[in-house]
Amino acid sequence: MTRPEASHPVEGTRLAAPSFTTTVPTEIAVRRDGAERMGFFTDTTVCIGCKACEVACKQWNDLPADGSQFRKGGSYDHTGELNASTWRHVRFVELLEPASLPRLPAHGELDLVGAAAGMAEVDVAAAVARMDDWIFMSDVCKHCTNAGCLDACPTGALIRTELETVIVQPDVCNGCGYCVPACPFGVIDRDPVDGRAAKCTLCYDRLQDGLEPACAKSCPTDSIQFGPYDELVEVAAGRVAELRRRGVEGAYLYGAGDDPGHELAGGLGAFFLLTEPPERYGLPAAADSPIQENVVPATIAAVGAGLAAAAAATAAFLHAARRARRGGR
Amino acid sequence: MSDGRDTTPALGTHGRPASWRRAREGAPVAGARSRWGDAIWSFIYGREDTSYRAAPLPAGELAAVNRAGRSAPPPEQLAGPFVKPPVWTWEVPLYFWFGGIASGASFVALACDVAGDRRSARIARGVALGTVAPAPLLLMADLGRPGRFLNMLRIFKPRSPMNLGAWSLVAFSALDAAAVGADLLGVRRAGRGLGAATAVVGGYLGSYTGVLLATTAIPLWARSRLLLGPIFVSTATATGAAATRLALVAAGLERGHPTDRALGTLADGAMVTELALSTLNERRLRHAAAAMRGGRAGALFALARGAVGAGLLLRRARGPLGPRADDAASVLFLAGGLAFRYAWLEAGVASAHDDEAAARMGRGRLTAEDEHGAGPRGARLRSRERPPLRGAPGPRRAWSEAVRRASLAVERLTTSRAA
Repeated sequence: MTRPEASHPVEGTRLAAPSFTTTVPTEIAVRRDGAERMGFFTDTTVCIGCKACEVACKQWNDLPADGSQFRKGGSYDHTGELNASTWRHVRFVELLEPASLPRLPAHGELDLVGAAAGMAEVDVAAAVARMDDWIFMSDVCKHCTNAGCLDACPTGALIRTELETVIVQPDVCNGCGYCVPACPFGVIDRDPVDGRAAKCTLCYDRLQDGLEPACAKSCPTDSIQFGPYDELVEVAAGRVAELRRRGVEGAYLYGAGDDPGHELAGGLGAFFLLTEPPERYGLPAAADSPIQENVVPATIAAVGAGLAAAAAATAAFLHAARRARRGGR
Repeated sequence: MSDGRDTTPALGTHGRPASWRRAREGAPVAGARSRWGDAIWSFIYGREDTSYRAAPLPAGELAAVNRAGRSAPPPEQLAGPFVKPPVWTWEVPLYFWFGGIASGASFVALACDVAGDRRSARIARGVALGTVAPAPLLLMADLGRPGRFLNMLRIFKPRSPMNLGAWSLVAFSALDAAAVGADLLGVRRAGRGLGAATAVVGGYLGSYTGVLLATTAIPLWARSRLLLGPIFVSTATATGAAATRLALVAAGLERGHPTDRALGTLADGAMVTELALSTLNERRLRHAAAAMRGGRAGALFALARGAVGAGLLLRRARGPLGPRADDAASVLFLAGGLAFRYAWLEAGVASAHDDEAAARMGRGRLTAEDEHGAGPRGARLRSRERPPLRGAPGPRRAWSEAVRRASLAVERLTTSRAA
C-alpha cells in the first residue's frame, strides 16, 4: 500500500470559500510570528468508539490508567468522563436500559425464568429499531475563545498559547481548584494524587516539533481531525452539507460557524459534528465563560452589599448612642 | 482512585515541567513535516474521489443549521455529567466563616469609632486580626500543592475573584495588623485611620466569596449570582457582630451598654436579611434550587436556619436565661453562620450532579428566557488582551518569575521536610 502524496486537503481543493472569521485573540501569553489558531474537528458520525485516541493520549502525555470499571449503570463506557488523567474520552452515547429490566448476577447460577417473571413483554421490534442508537463522541477540552478556566485561574498557570489553545503550566499551578467548577463543559480537573489541575494541551509539545496531536494521529477513521482552525471549519461545513444531502437532517456543528453573539463560549477551538441534541452528549445547549458572564453583576451586587452592611453597622451604633443619650441609657 | 497509582513522571521531576535534550541539536523530528503536514495523510478526506464532504454550506445557512441542532427538543435521557463538582474540602467553608467574621468585625470597629466607643473599636480590630489569622492557613491547606501558595500573588488579575480575594486577604491582614499595632503603641489616630481602611478592604473580603461561587458553571451558584454576594455579606456581618459582642462581653462590657445593644440589633438585622435573601433566592431559582433541599445540603440549611431562628427567638423572649440569652443568641448566630457556609458548598456539589439543572441552564441561555437562567446581557468582561500585572513589562515579568521561583523553593523545602 502506498501512501498518497501528502497534500494539504484544502490547499489543493480550495472551494469558493465562505468566510469564517475567528474572534479576536485573547490573552496570548506565548507569541510567535506566523502562528495561527489550530484546533480539532471531531466528526462523531465516523467515530467507531475504539478508544485509540484515549490510549494514544495517555501514552504520549504519560497519564496513569483509570482502571477498567463500568461506572455508569448499564453503560459500556468504562472511562466515564474527562478528568485530570483522561484528556480524551470517547463518550458512549447510549440509551440506557430502563431500571425495570431484570438484574442478573455476574456470578453463580442464572435464573432467567425467575428473573423474567413479572416483567413486561419486551417490544422486540422497538428494541431492534433502537439498536443503532449507539453513537460515540470523542470528547476533549474545547479550547474555548472565552475560556472559563483561564479567566478563573488566580496564579496565571493557565495561559493561551500562540496557537490560541489553552494550557496549564505545571510549574505554576498550585492546585487551588477554582478552574474545576469554572469550566462550563466539566473538562478540567484536579488530580487527587498530583494535586495540580490538568487537561488536554492539544499536544502543545508535539506541535512545537511539527507533529500533530497524538489522538488525531492515532484515529483510524479520521473522526478526529487536526489543522488550522479556519480550514477545519471549512471541512466541517462541507461535511454537514454532505450529510444533509444524504438525508441526515440532524447534522450540525457544535462550537463553530455560529452567528456572532450565539457562539459557544466565544467559539470552540475543538468543535464537534453532532447529529442529536447536545444534551445527549453531555454538552450544554449554550455556554459561556461563567466569569465573563457573571463577575461584573455579581461583584457590583456583592460590594454594594458590603458597603450597605458597613453603613448599617454605623447606623445601628449611632442610633444606639443617640438613644442612650436621650434616655440617659 | 488514588490508591496504588504510580505517578512517577517519565521525564523530569514532580512539580517541574518535563525537560529533555535532543541527541543532536536542530535534528529533524521523525515524521514531522512543515505546517503539520503529517496530519494530512488520510486516504479518504484529503482526496477528490471520496464523498466525505461536499461544498461547504454558506456561513449564514450553517449558523441556522447549528442553531436548529442545538435547540432541538431536549432528550428524555440526559447523558451527564455536565459540570464538575468543586474539589474544595472542609477548609474552604471554614475559611469563608473566619474571613466573614473578620470582615464583619472590621465593620463593627469602624462603627464603634464613628459612634465614639474607642475601647470597643480597639477590641473589634483585635477580633478581626484574630479571626483573619487562621484564614491563610486554611486556604493553604486546601491547595493541591500547599507549598505553592505564594503563586497566588504572582500576578494581579482583577478578573479572577480568587486572585483578587488573595490580594484582599493580604491587604486586610496587613492593614489590620498595622491598626492593632498602632493601637498597642498608643497612636490612636493611626489606629483609627488604618481601621477604616481595613473596613473598606473588609467590604470586599466579606463579599468576594459569594462572587467566587457565583462565577462558576455550577447551576445553583451561577444562577444566584446577584444574591449570593449579598447573602454572604449578611452572614459575615451577623457572625462578625456576634463574635465581637462575645469578645466585648468577655472583656467586661457592661450589659445594656449602647455598643452591646447596637451589636445585638446589627446581628439580628443581618441574620433576618440573610434569611429573607436566601428565601427569595430559593423561590426565584425554582428547579435549580432542588440541590438546596435534599441530602446533606438540605440538612445543613435546615440546621443553619434552625440555629438562626432559635437565636432570634431568644433575643425576643429571653426566658429563664435572662441577660445571658443575648450571649446564647450570639453563639447560635455563629453556629448558624458556620452551617450556612458548609450548606452552600454542599449544595454546590449536589447541584453539579444535577444534570437536569445544568441542561436547563444551557437551554435558558439559548432561548434568552429568564425562566431557566439568564443569558449573558448587560455589562460583561469581554475577552481581550490583558497584561497580568499593570506597569512596565520588565518589572512585571521579574515579579512573576521571582514569586514563581520562591514558590517552588518553598514547596521543595516543605515537601523534603515532610518526606
